[in-house]
Amino acid sequence: MVAKRRGERAPEAFLPLAPATFQILLALTNDELHGYAIMKSVVTRSAGSVQLGPGTLYGALKRLLEAGLVEEAGERADPEHDDERRRYYRLTSLGVSVARAEARRLEAMVRAARRKKLIGERPA
Amino acid sequence: MSARLERIYRLLLCAYPPEFRAKYGREMLLVFRDQCREGDVRSVRFWARVFWDVARSAPALRAEATRTVEVHMKFAAVVTVLLGALGILGAVGEWIAGSRQPMGATYVLAVVLGVSAFGLLLGAGLAILLQRRQAARLALVASLVMISGARLLFPWMGIFAQLVGFGLPVALLIALYWPGKPARASA
Repeated sequence: MVAKRRGERAPEAFLPLAPATFQILLALTNDELHGYAIMKSVVTRSAGSVQLGPGTLYGALKRLLEAGLVEEAGERADPEHDDERRRYYRLTSLGVSVARAEARRLEAMVRAARRKKLIGERPA
Repeated sequence: MSARLERIYRLLLCAYPPEFRAKYGREMLLVFRDQCREGDVRSVRFWARVFWDVARSAPALRAEATRTVEVHMKFAAVVTVLLGALGILGAVGEWIAGSRQPMGATYVLAVVLGVSAFGLLLGAGLAILLQRRQAARLALVASLVMISGARLLFPWMGIFAQLVGFGLPVALLIALYWPGKPARASA
């Protein structure tokens, strides 16, 4: 486990995350992606319910970079698009911890909703 | 993507703060290019999404940028007040040290100008904290004039006093005038 740097906030201090922010962290989990690839990943995973425009996406990325949850992973051309060099982003270890903490928080909420019979039992 | 669409999006990017455009403008344009390639640029829905995205994100980023500048300015103002007070104390100390011997009129005038310069610097710091930017600018210019006069009359002025007396007002004047400059199109 990566040791917590001095002055670094605890992952729980970032919660709850805005849905778009969590979607971006999910897109970047285990992947280095550029802006458009993040947008496409979010649309696919949310079945179109979350759609990020360039302004919303880069505004969120700027805040995530400042908070130390995401870092830049250099610039290179996308082999699929074969055009200009694009800036890639990836999660930091703090970013992974925050995404994990948010997932646990949401899981606890879903469990509570199940207990209250708001939603059905977990499918087999 | 046609040059016309790109021009329209470049215009929309002007809604974002200059620093944000400088860092992300090119990337946003690339994403917009991808959207144009895969979407129907002739549909109202496409453009409604583009405009909605700008309308939703730009004001928030502008507000964030303003808040950041304000925090920096407040910090600079507090430092100015402290250094102004320190400068006054230093000049008074100089006066007390010099008073053991007979003082010439030039020396007295130099000390008075020095104390006034640091007093004005302190006042400028307070004016920035009170959001009186014009008053702060006037105080800083007057402080520069006074410290220049003191330096001419008293060439042995300490390096710290010179650094603070000249450097701080110049830096603050640049910072105070900076937001008034037209934003550079860099998207």
